[in-house]
Amino acid sequence: MSATVKGTRRPSSKGDRSARHQAAWAAAARRRQEAERRRRRILAGAAIALVAAVLGTLVVVRLSTGAKTADPGPAAGPVSDELIRAITGVPAAVLDGIGAGSVDTVPRPVAGQPALTAGGKPLVLYVGAEFCPFCAAQRWGVVVALSRFGTFAGLGASRSASDDAYPNTATVTFHGASYTSDYLTFEGVETQTNVRQGGGYGPLDSLTAQQLQTVRTYNAPPYVDASSAGAIPFVDFGNRYVMVGASFKPQLLAGLSAVQIATALADPSSPVAKAVDGSANMFTAAICELTGGQPAAVCTSPAVVAGRGRLHAAA
Amino acid sequence: MPPRSRVTVSGHRGTAVLALALVGLAVSVYLLVDHYTAATPLACPEGTVVNCQRVTTSPQSTVMGIPVALLGVVFFVVLAAVSRPAVWRGLAPWAAWARAGLAAAGVVGVIYLVYAELFLVNAICLWCTAVHAVALALFAVVAMDLAADPDQLRTGFAGPRVRSDGLAPP
Repeated sequence: MSATVKGTRRPSSKGDRSARHQAAWAAAARRRQEAERRRRRILAGAAIALVAAVLGTLVVVRLSTGAKTADPGPAAGPVSDELIRAITGVPAAVLDGIGAGSVDTVPRPVAGQPALTAGGKPLVLYVGAEFCPFCAAQRWGVVVALSRFGTFAGLGASRSASDDAYPNTATVTFHGASYTSDYLTFEGVETQTNVRQGGGYGPLDSLTAQQLQTVRTYNAPPYVDASSAGAIPFVDFGNRYVMVGASFKPQLLAGLSAVQIATALADPSSPVAKAVDGSANMFTAAICELTGGQPAAVCTSPAVVAGRGRLHAAA
Repeated sequence: MPPRSRVTVSGHRGTAVLALALVGLAVSVYLLVDHYTAATPLACPEGTVVNCQRVTTSPQSTVMGIPVALLGVVFFVVLAAVSRPAVWRGLAPWAAWARAGLAAAGVVGVIYLVYAELFLVNAICLWCTAVHAVALALFAVVAMDLAADPDQLRTGFAGPRVRSDGLAPP
C-alpha cells in the first residue's frame, strides 16, 4: 500500500515502513482479538464446568448419604362388612345416572380370537400387584362390575406401595379372594406384595401356565399399545376385550380411605363415583357381551347399553 | 477468520440449538400428555432408583399448580422460536438475550429438579433426565456461541458485519 501527499508520491522506503507498520498493527490487533476470544471461551467453559460441578456434587452427596428407607407397605387385612356392602351394593340408579362418567380409558376389543373360558364359562382374568397404584385404582371398578354378576368372598383391604407413585392408594386385593357366579368365572392374580424386597416387591401369587400364556399373547401388540405391553393392571374380558392400565388416574383417590372411597360410590355427584362407577359400567358392558346379555336386568340397563356403544365406538 | 466461516460456524450452533429445542419439546410433550390423560404407566422402569411415575406424580412435579412438564413445553417452544434460522441470523439483540436468559433459566431449573429427584422424591425419571440433558446441552451451545460472538447481545448476530479482511469493525 502507498500513500500520497499533495499528489507527490512518497519515497518507496517510507511507504514500505508505513506498510510494515500497518501490518504490525493488524497483527497486534489480531493477537488481541484472539486473546479476547480465548478469554471468552474460557469464561464460557468455566460456566459450563460450574454447572457440571454443581450437578456432580448433588449426585455425590446423594450417593454418600444413602437412600432413605421407605416405609414398609401396609399388609393386606380383612375388609369390613360395611365396606363390602358399599362396594358390591352400588345402587343401579346411581350407575345408570353416571354412565361413562369421567373414564379416561376403556377396554379395547379383540377380534377373531378364541374365547377365553374356565369351567365352561367365560373367564375374566385380572393380573396386577398390590404395590401398583394403577391396579389399586382399577380394582374398585372391577369389583363393582363383577358384583353385578356374582359374589366375592375373602376380599382383603390393601394399599399401594408407600414409596411408589400415588403412594398408599387405598384399595382391595384379590389375593386370597374367591368369586362365584352363574354367568362367568373370575381369576384375580396379584403377583407381588406392597412390601419392599430387594430392588422390587415381595412375590405373591403365581400365574398358572394358561394365565401366563394369556398374558404373553394379549398383553402385547396388536392387542395393546407397544408402550404399554406387559404393564399392569391387565384385564382380559374373555378374549373379547382387553385393557392395560387404569381407567382413571389414581390421583383421584389420594388421601381417601377405603371406606371414604366405597361410600362415595353411591354419590353420583362425587368425582370418585364418576370415575369408579363409570369404569364399572364399561366393564359391565364388556362382560355382558361374554354372558350373552345375562342377567338381562343388568345388561339392558341404560348405562350398560350406553357403555356398549362407547366400547364399539372405541373400536 | 474469514467471514464466511464465522457465519457458518454460528449457523451450525443455531441449527444445534433449534434441533435440541425440538428434541426437548418432543419429550416434554410426551410427559405433559401423560400428566393430563394417561392412566397407564410411562414407558420407564419402575425400580427403587429409576421410577418415572414416582417422579412425575410427586408434589415436586408441579410448581404453584403448574405441571413442570407444561413449563418444559413452554420453555422449549419459546427457545425454538428464538432459534429459528431467520431469527438467529437477524440483527435483533433481544433474540440473543432471550436465548441467553432461557439457557440460564433452564440450567437453574435443571439443578432444582435434579435436587428434587435426588433428595425429595428419592427416584430418578429417565424421561426427565433426557430433558435435563437437552437443557444442559442447550446451555453449553448458547454459552459457546455467546463467547464466540458477544456482539450479538448489543447488535444482534455479528457474522455478516465482519469486514472482508477478517477484522472486527472499529
